[in-house]
Amino acid sequence: MEIEGQATVKESQPPKFALLVDSEHKATEFHLFSSAAPHMRAFHLSWISFFSCFVSTFAAPPLLPIIRDNLNLTATDIGNAGVASVSGAVFARIAMGTACDLFGPRLASASLILLTAPAVYFTSIASSPISFLLVRFFTGFSLATFVSAQFWMSSMFSGPVVGTANGVAAGWGNLGGGATQLIMPLVFSLIRDIGAVKFTAWRVAFFIPALFQTLSAFAILIFGQDLPDGNYQRLQNSGNKQKDKFSRVFYHGITNYRGWILALTYGYCFGVELTVDNIIAEYFYDRFNLKLHTAGIIAASFGLANIVSRPAGGVLSDMMAKRFGMRGRLWALWAVQTLGGVFCIILGQVGSLTASIVVMIVFSVFVQAACGLTFGVVPFVSRRSLGVISGMTGGGGNVGAVLTQLIFFKGSKYSKETGITLMGVMIVCCTLPIFLIYFPQWGGMFCGPSSEKIATEEDYYLSEWSSKEQGKGLHQASLKFADNSRSERGRRVHSQTLPSNATPSANV
Amino acid sequence: MAATGLLLGLILVLGCFSEIGVALISFSSLQTTLVVTATHPQGLLRAGEDKITVRWGLNQSLPAGTDSAYKTIKVQLCYAPISQVDRAWRKTEDHLSKDKTCQFKIVKRPYTTGNQTLEWTIERDVPTATYFVRAYALDANDHEVAYGQNTDAKKTTNLFEIQAISGRHVSLDIASVCFSVFSIVSLMGFFFVEKRKGRKAQQ
Repeated sequence: MEIEGQATVKESQPPKFALLVDSEHKATEFHLFSSAAPHMRAFHLSWISFFSCFVSTFAAPPLLPIIRDNLNLTATDIGNAGVASVSGAVFARIAMGTACDLFGPRLASASLILLTAPAVYFTSIASSPISFLLVRFFTGFSLATFVSAQFWMSSMFSGPVVGTANGVAAGWGNLGGGATQLIMPLVFSLIRDIGAVKFTAWRVAFFIPALFQTLSAFAILIFGQDLPDGNYQRLQNSGNKQKDKFSRVFYHGITNYRGWILALTYGYCFGVELTVDNIIAEYFYDRFNLKLHTAGIIAASFGLANIVSRPAGGVLSDMMAKRFGMRGRLWALWAVQTLGGVFCIILGQVGSLTASIVVMIVFSVFVQAACGLTFGVVPFVSRRSLGVISGMTGGGGNVGAVLTQLIFFKGSKYSKETGITLMGVMIVCCTLPIFLIYFPQWGGMFCGPSSEKIATEEDYYLSEWSSKEQGKGLHQASLKFADNSRSERGRRVHSQTLPSNATPSANV
Repeated sequence: MAATGLLLGLILVLGCFSEIGVALISFSSLQTTLVVTATHPQGLLRAGEDKITVRWGLNQSLPAGTDSAYKTIKVQLCYAPISQVDRAWRKTEDHLSKDKTCQFKIVKRPYTTGNQTLEWTIERDVPTATYFVRAYALDANDHEVAYGQNTDAKKTTNLFEIQAISGRHVSLDIASVCFSVFSIVSLMGFFFVEKRKGRKAQQ
């Protein structure tokens, strides 16, 4: 079926949607305070459920000073559990991209959330280092909802706003990692004040994130839908949706070296964010002799910065692209992430409480903005295999979290402050590969676009389709995308090549 | 801007919560003038149930007047070295304000000459570990001036083990299992309803 041009026009029939939509019925505007079905409703369901998964995954760290005494954990046990909590999602994120393709983001995310909820309930009855590790491992799988959230936003929102939708959904979801550091100590204190003993109070407290997670999954199933026009099953039955071949999509994703580089670098912004979520409360509690409650508040401010910093990264990426194109996006990503590494080094060095808090907040802003900036580049790496590239990058984030925790925060080899400094050094080193990312049509950080003949956007995106597939007309969407992506040339774009609505494409 | 103001406010508030450094008294400067013994039932002691009888007093062989500065006695339950391995939050430091060896207070009483005895029921929030008992003598400013412990200087003798409560209750176990089963069953229920709706739509 031929798709109409992506003109931003109102439907000629009486408007079915509360927002302006394009020809695919994807919204072209983003109204944060509306929950109109299906677009804004999908946005709110998406970020709230992702938020609940973050709350559950990082519910244990703020209560570790109690849990480590109850379960007789050593520093090694704690480190192992921290690694386990983020390692499950490495493969789950890659698998989730496929599941969204096959079943739709609504069923895929709700299923994952309901299947991991038991792990959170069972945390209440953990009684040994091994059972603690297992519950954290299985709870961590729920972080794969990141991919379904991004996929859902990309299905509901069109070019001009998809970056904002994705940035806010991801940022507000990541907020859960910060909010949990406030919520869990509070819930624990309330339950303890009612009369429960410490070692029982923390167990009861875990029912809160577990119930929140269960209810958010129900909300998705009851109120959500996959696409503006309906759910996958109905659309596939009526023949309105094409299916691509999984093996080809997968192949073109994993053979794109840029996807691997971004997976590595995302490990040193998002991965570091996950690591810090795991260790920061204990760090402040132990190093500065604070009360549990206070350490929780400080640790929370790290994750809470996500409310603006990750979306701001996305906005910065778009601003750089308007002027300097893709090269601007890459430079901004490298600079912001490197600065994040520098502030991480400083954080491990400062010894006073006030300085630590200030440096930590600055560090959090840079690290989270880098996450937003990464997903300013990801949509352009591949059009056919966007899901696989997003999943690889997302999975790479978790690999980074696993690596940093294994190397620096397991056992008693390094004190926490030394570990933090060394992690900062690793961030700076592992951000350097961004120098190697090169798009023939736009250039890289140090080189301009190629002057050879195979250097247009069409050449780049159509190289993912064989001539046979092009003969069948399967490449039409990529062709459209290539045309729209010409804005990544920056100010050099000639106005006549742009249809009036083509957008300096925001992060998809 | 509001954000900066909020940040500064947060820092100020937290400044009030943080502990201000106390006088740096080092453990190695304290003298061992107290004699402390702890008796308890044989075997593993259970938190919340078993009792320890602690006896403390000035070492009688010391000259009179040694205890002139002592105003208060603080008796604490302390971790033995074996329970400090790979647990930096229980580390022994020479500076008493940073020392984390003794984290549980048994009793704090005004100092009197002669021997004192106390029968203490182990509290329910004491974790599973190996312990010994130490008593600090505090002066009028609440600073440590002397100590005594029921074990030797290397902390190898007279140690005892305490088993913590698990914190688990049957009601919690049942609730966990029920809610988990409910989550899975409701997921299957939703799938079933979806399939039925799909079949109906196709008819």
